[in-house]
Amino acid sequence: MGKSTIIPFGPQHPVLPEPLHLDLVVEDETVIDCIPQIGFVHRGLEKLVETRDYNQFIYVAERICGICAMGHSLGYAETVESLMGVEVPKRGEYLRVIWHELSRIHSHLLWLGLAADAFGFESMFMHCWRLRERILDIFEKTTGGRVILSVVAVGGVVRDIDSAVLLEIENVLDGIKGDYEKIVKTLLSDTSIKNRTVGVGHISNEDAISLSMVGPFARASNVNYDVRMFGKGAYGDLSDFEPILDAQGDCYARIKVRCLEVIQSIDIIKELISKIPQGDIITKVKGSPADGAQAANVLEQPRGECYYYARGNGSKYLERMRMRTPTSQNLAGMTVALKGCDLADVNMIILTIDPCISCTER
Amino acid sequence: MGSFKLGGMTFGSLFKKPETLLYPFEKKEPYAGQKGHITNDVSSCILCGMCQKACPCNCIKVDKASRKWEINPFMCVQCSSCVRACPTKCLSMDGAYTPVSSAIYCNDMDVPEKDSDNNTE
Amino acid sequence: MDFKSEFTNIDVIAIHDDAKRRHEQGWRYVQILAVNKDDAIDLIYSYMLDGELDNVIISDVARDAVIPSISDIFLEAFVCENEIHDLFGVAFEGIAIDFLGNFYKVAERYPMTVITPEQLAAKEKARKIAAAKAAKEAKAKGASDKSQNDANDGAKAETRSSEKQGKTIEEEEAELEAKLANMDPEKAAKVRAAFLAKKKKAAEAKEGE
Repeated sequence: MGKSTIIPFGPQHPVLPEPLHLDLVVEDETVIDCIPQIGFVHRGLEKLVETRDYNQFIYVAERICGICAMGHSLGYAETVESLMGVEVPKRGEYLRVIWHELSRIHSHLLWLGLAADAFGFESMFMHCWRLRERILDIFEKTTGGRVILSVVAVGGVVRDIDSAVLLEIENVLDGIKGDYEKIVKTLLSDTSIKNRTVGVGHISNEDAISLSMVGPFARASNVNYDVRMFGKGAYGDLSDFEPILDAQGDCYARIKVRCLEVIQSIDIIKELISKIPQGDIITKVKGSPADGAQAANVLEQPRGECYYYARGNGSKYLERMRMRTPTSQNLAGMTVALKGCDLADVNMIILTIDPCISCTER
Repeated sequence: MGSFKLGGMTFGSLFKKPETLLYPFEKKEPYAGQKGHITNDVSSCILCGMCQKACPCNCIKVDKASRKWEINPFMCVQCSSCVRACPTKCLSMDGAYTPVSSAIYCNDMDVPEKDSDNNTE
Repeated sequence: MDFKSEFTNIDVIAIHDDAKRRHEQGWRYVQILAVNKDDAIDLIYSYMLDGELDNVIISDVARDAVIPSISDIFLEAFVCENEIHDLFGVAFEGIAIDFLGNFYKVAERYPMTVITPEQLAAKEKARKIAAAKAAKEAKAKGASDKSQNDANDGAKAETRSSEKQGKTIEEEEAELEAKLANMDPEKAAKVRAAFLAKKKKAAEAKEGE
């Protein structure tokens, strides 16, 4: 056993898109302990709820994270709706879920590209982002924005998608699916990728449950939990929803779960498009949340379960708005996964967990 | 072998239309309803100030006394709240993105007096 | 599986035991949050089991209270506990990974507890409006009670109805103040002046009769 040294990792590191700092306690080449630290980009967005009314805050909520922008505005709107007892029209719910699932595809493709780039597999990076660009084009066509969509409002959505465009989305998704399946097959059967990921950063099912992990990270350790299976909103109308699970719990399993989730999302969107009802897209919301009224809500973001809490104070401003993002839940799991790994594997483990720090700090 | 599959895809791209545009020479047509910037048709604006109230980032200023309607395009987040709040539908979202600029400026517009205003007064 | 969200109340001493019990029963830790109030802080702990989201509320925790940490049971709670310490100034005892106030790098101490003068003014206004409303309601109630008592007395009822049409000056003033509370001070001053002028005119007209 050698002498233990502390190696600082991040907040600026080629593998990290976001500022996460790790103090890695290293003995020889093995990481024996790790202390994660965030807090470099705290922006105080939760405090802003005191100066923006509940309709305006939706634009702040979707700026919490660039990748899950749609998810945050959706989660915020759902929470305020349950606070005020607003019923969203069916078509509005369907459109919300279609956009939300599209943003899950775009998030996973972005992540897959970055992961491939970190492996040194740069042509894969290019193909993933080429496919992602088609999703962004759908966003641009249907909402007017590429990343910040601003389509969700308290009570529904502000823009409708007509049936011709819905048909077009279906065709684009079919095109993506063909290419995507080829990419996934290549990625999952590549020997050099298997060498680097199989058995690395293993988290057992018991650990995953006791550390309350969420999202694809937990599902790769066979934790049968996905908020979508509660069937809220339009998810309830799906004929069948089964979370994608894998029992291995290593980096390879996490890559596999994410890869398969994209195909699952494509299927969800196609099913919803075939079932979408006609009708209103928004209910007019009047009045303001009652004093002391409170509501809690969960939503499946691309990275896992996100918790929302809102409390009213009788005025049009909310007393408190809180988001607990999936990464904050997974930080503890990450430290456990890193213990005992090789120093060279640290970046692979962090990448497959995919922490989103600016989400977490808000 | 997996890598040959991807190789086939890359090779096939040689014979397809490029996915990108030669930007300065070719420009992408904005989609209908794309969020570029806010325009105000001053001929039907009544300076009611609803847009100022709806704006989440306080970038619109309406001065009724001097009949000025002003927007700071650098603070605007293109959320279209003002377009939805406008009672006379004089505000609209234009699809063209604003060009880059070396200095921050405000777009202020003089709103002409309406005949109907004079009649009522 | 259906989603259900519930709120329950609990005392501050029971936090740790509650967490322990839930851990044994297989509940999943979801989050901890704090709500800043005028002179105290609310803490809310959330747990989930089979789609049931249970939010445990600990109301009115004193600002200088020391809260037992639950991160020895649920390690992942260290993120929320450090966050609440840095943003709200609530002290936690025995956090598994304690950053001692260096978790978030913030320019101001405990930024979530800051109440700006504008917010204070807005709160004051809201209180005034509520008070004016309550006063008005109490008065209206009093008047209606009176009307029931006087219902048989015809002559008196007549005078009362005339009174009802012309509201008392105090009542009108209370109403006006309630309306003014939301306006900017310049405009409010103008409206107030107009109100006084109107009153004066009315009084003069009465004298003239």
